[in-house]
Amino acid sequence: MTGPLGRPEALRLFLRPPTVLTVLAVLATTASPVAAHHVGTYVPKDNAVSANFKEIKFALQAGKLDVALRLFEGGALRREMRARAATLPQDLEAEALAAVRTGDARVAEGRLMVFFAALARDLAREAVRQLAEPGVSPETRAAIGPKFLEAIWRYYNLVDFAVSMRDSKSSVAMRLAFDEAETYAKTSAAPAAVNPCSGQRRAADRGRTAPDPDRLRASLERVAQILGDLVEASTPARRNP
Amino acid sequence: MTADDAWRLPPWWVLLVAVLLIVCAELGGASMVRFKLELARWARDAMLARPAVHGLVGVRDVDERILDEALVKFDAGLRLFHLHAEGMGLVIIATTSVAATLGGRRAGRALIALLTAGGAGYPLGYLLWSALIPYRGIEEGKAIAEWSVWIPFGGATIVALWWLAGLVTLRMLRR
Repeated sequence: MTGPLGRPEALRLFLRPPTVLTVLAVLATTASPVAAHHVGTYVPKDNAVSANFKEIKFALQAGKLDVALRLFEGGALRREMRARAATLPQDLEAEALAAVRTGDARVAEGRLMVFFAALARDLAREAVRQLAEPGVSPETRAAIGPKFLEAIWRYYNLVDFAVSMRDSKSSVAMRLAFDEAETYAKTSAAPAAVNPCSGQRRAADRGRTAPDPDRLRASLERVAQILGDLVEASTPARRNP
Repeated sequence: MTADDAWRLPPWWVLLVAVLLIVCAELGGASMVRFKLELARWARDAMLARPAVHGLVGVRDVDERILDEALVKFDAGLRLFHLHAEGMGLVIIATTSVAATLGGRRAGRALIALLTAGGAGYPLGYLLWSALIPYRGIEEGKAIAEWSVWIPFGGATIVALWWLAGLVTLRMLRR
């Protein structure tokens, strides 16, 4: 017997041959993984700041003040607060530290809420600036929007509940503005993936198939305004003049 | 037991290709562990040098997420190469043995060629995808790997497997 591809004699294994059905079953199982060249899915992770915030929050909620204090004092959140001190309300870090030290979870949560609102506000302002830059191609402008929106929502989502407990009007306004921004950033009228609270789209927006960077910029300006007002309203000096 | 009922081995070069593929898979796996940091640093530097390719906007809170996704996919490509090369090495041995035993002379040759080329080439697509991510981005790299490797080599394997399935079915009906 001649072996395949010119081999004079193929080696024989003197084993019992497989039944035809067994061979078919083996073939069926090998065919499917070959056909599906999947490349996996990506699940965004917390960054050092948001992870540290969650740790501090859970420690405070559990009444573990020493743990919360240690996490805050040596954590990424406080480092970020210091690095961004110029754009944050005065003494925000000191007030947050004092609240964590005394175990006042509500005040600590409020100060951290201001911090994350300020982070989201700065991102919205930067997005507006980049969308307004002259000479940027429409494709680039269309690509910028969703990336900033995702980053804004990632920070705002951490404190959305705290915002709604303290200032429900700002919370609702922020959700509406964000939902509108998402609509103008999307390339299709499919439901929003980032904001799970977004409801039905308006009839005019349901048929949208291309992003609208100009309207997106206006929506992001609104987001920045709402968050800016929230930060201002939450600073003690402004609240109690 | 008659001579016709015996298993036949595929040619030695096919076995060599399959074993080499498994060796590459193991080397790839070991290298991923040994040079994990170096690989991640190299990929990150290459991506930072091409902000336009990856849509980086110059804001850390936005860019870190983009870079993280690309690095996760870069690592996933290397892992998938490791897994597929291991698996396809065994698939080549198993399926070419069936083809050598039941395929007949002409069909057997063609089947063995398709199964070996397809099986050995397909995992390299994941390696190519990983290597392209820092230079061309996730999606463009994937499209290149798909059209240059996954579709032709994976397609060859799928066609060969269905062909083999048809041959086996024919044998079954003739019995």
